[in-house]
Amino acid sequence: MRGLRPLAAELHKTLTLPSTWVALAVTILGTAAITVLNANYARSAIASGDVWDRGLLSPFETGYSGMPLGTVGAVVLGVVAIGSEYTAASTDAGGGRQITTTLAAMPGRTGVLLAKTAVVVLLVALSAAVAIPLSTGIAAVMLGDAAVPTPGFGEAAARSAGAALYWALTAVMAIAITALARTVMIPLVVLIANSSVVSVSILLSRVTPLAFWLPDAAGQRLFGDLSMMEGALDAGPGGLVMAAWAALLLGIAAVVFARRDA
Amino acid sequence: MSGLGRAVAAEAAKLRTLPAAPLTVLGTAILAGAIAGALAAQEPPIPAADAVAGAVPLAQAGAILLGVLPVTQEYAGRQLRTSLVAVPSRGAVIAAKTAVAAAASLLAGALATAAALGAAWGAGIATGDGAPDPLAGGGRVLGAALYLALMGLLAHAVALLLRGPVPALTSTLALVLLVSPVLAGLGAFARWLPDRAAAALYLPDAGPGDWLGPAPGALVALAWIVALTALGAWRFCRSEPVP
Repeated sequence: MRGLRPLAAELHKTLTLPSTWVALAVTILGTAAITVLNANYARSAIASGDVWDRGLLSPFETGYSGMPLGTVGAVVLGVVAIGSEYTAASTDAGGGRQITTTLAAMPGRTGVLLAKTAVVVLLVALSAAVAIPLSTGIAAVMLGDAAVPTPGFGEAAARSAGAALYWALTAVMAIAITALARTVMIPLVVLIANSSVVSVSILLSRVTPLAFWLPDAAGQRLFGDLSMMEGALDAGPGGLVMAAWAALLLGIAAVVFARRDA
Repeated sequence: MSGLGRAVAAEAAKLRTLPAAPLTVLGTAILAGAIAGALAAQEPPIPAADAVAGAVPLAQAGAILLGVLPVTQEYAGRQLRTSLVAVPSRGAVIAAKTAVAAAASLLAGALATAAALGAAWGAGIATGDGAPDPLAGGGRVLGAALYLALMGLLAHAVALLLRGPVPALTSTLALVLLVSPVLAGLGAFARWLPDRAAAALYLPDAGPGDWLGPAPGALVALAWIVALTALGAWRFCRSEPVP
């Protein structure tokens, strides 16, 4: 039980943050909303036969195309889980920061960071477990009989797990960067901008192939073989490179967090 | 100085003395310059205006960060109560804030575009493509600056409506960087989204079809901004000045 107490405390703190629920809603309802729009489009495209790649109109692909939005949810989860500790309370309430209370209750700083990471990864995994089946399910229902056959279960499961892993690793990096920056604004801007199609890594990859080793670009193939990522690392090695980045950043954050005045 | 003039001066002083604001303006300009320079240095050479356009999608993240600052800084701590004691008219506070956000966004957009253009010219000369025609694509370069300013104002309007830095930043960035590119693949209705309407200002192929054209696009984006600012002003005037 003792080992679980920091986890329970961090879970409670994270779940009582409004931003956590907004992030979960972005991931689950946002991807579902994009799927509905997407399925409408796919239905009319199938009916008119005006399609360049019918494979993209299967229920799985139709639901899966909203998955980049889940990265935003993961970023917000990671950033607010630790950023909220550093937000000053109202001056009427003493203007204190939660981090001082947290560290008084749990002096083991590495444990605090690890507990937070575990809670965020758990929430990201749960949101993926709901969002991906929900989106593909909505697409399957909306497309009905008109649907183009879906990729095999193995491929669908692998790519769903890949998306969940990408979200989780992004959330871990969000925790690490926010712990270093001790503010929410900068990590939010950098990480959300970088999870989009205008990511710095993708721009840099036009200049040097080394850019494919940057954390967000390395993991791109976890979503599947996307044609826009010509020259990117494969899913397996890319996922490992991304995981190594996440571990490195979390390690640096843990050392700094343990040694710096809160 | 009139009451509104003093309110504008106060808002300008509050924004200028926030360390994040000048740093964001500077960072956006450096980022835009670096991207445009890198794009212009490639083979085959591309026109400077295209390099500037290539820098805009990422530079707009800086414009959006700057746009949320004037409002969200008030909700950190009790500054808003102090502000309203000093300027009790909430309409005047909003008018002053919006004017300052517009000026700051225009400044940031102009600086970022100038940095991008300068870097693109420099890279073009350094790679031996000769001196570029300085006026080629001038309208689109101007449009890029205007686009960045419009995105800053859009973020300001969203911040007025949502108040907190996390919801304002997340929703604006997610709309502009993720949702609108996804929706763009789904049909022509996406051209009415604020960022895609305004993007006709700087994109080369902004003809009929997927884009609204520069002037109508800018007007549509402005209509979004006015509507969201009005909603935000309504909330600001009706709610308690606490987070």
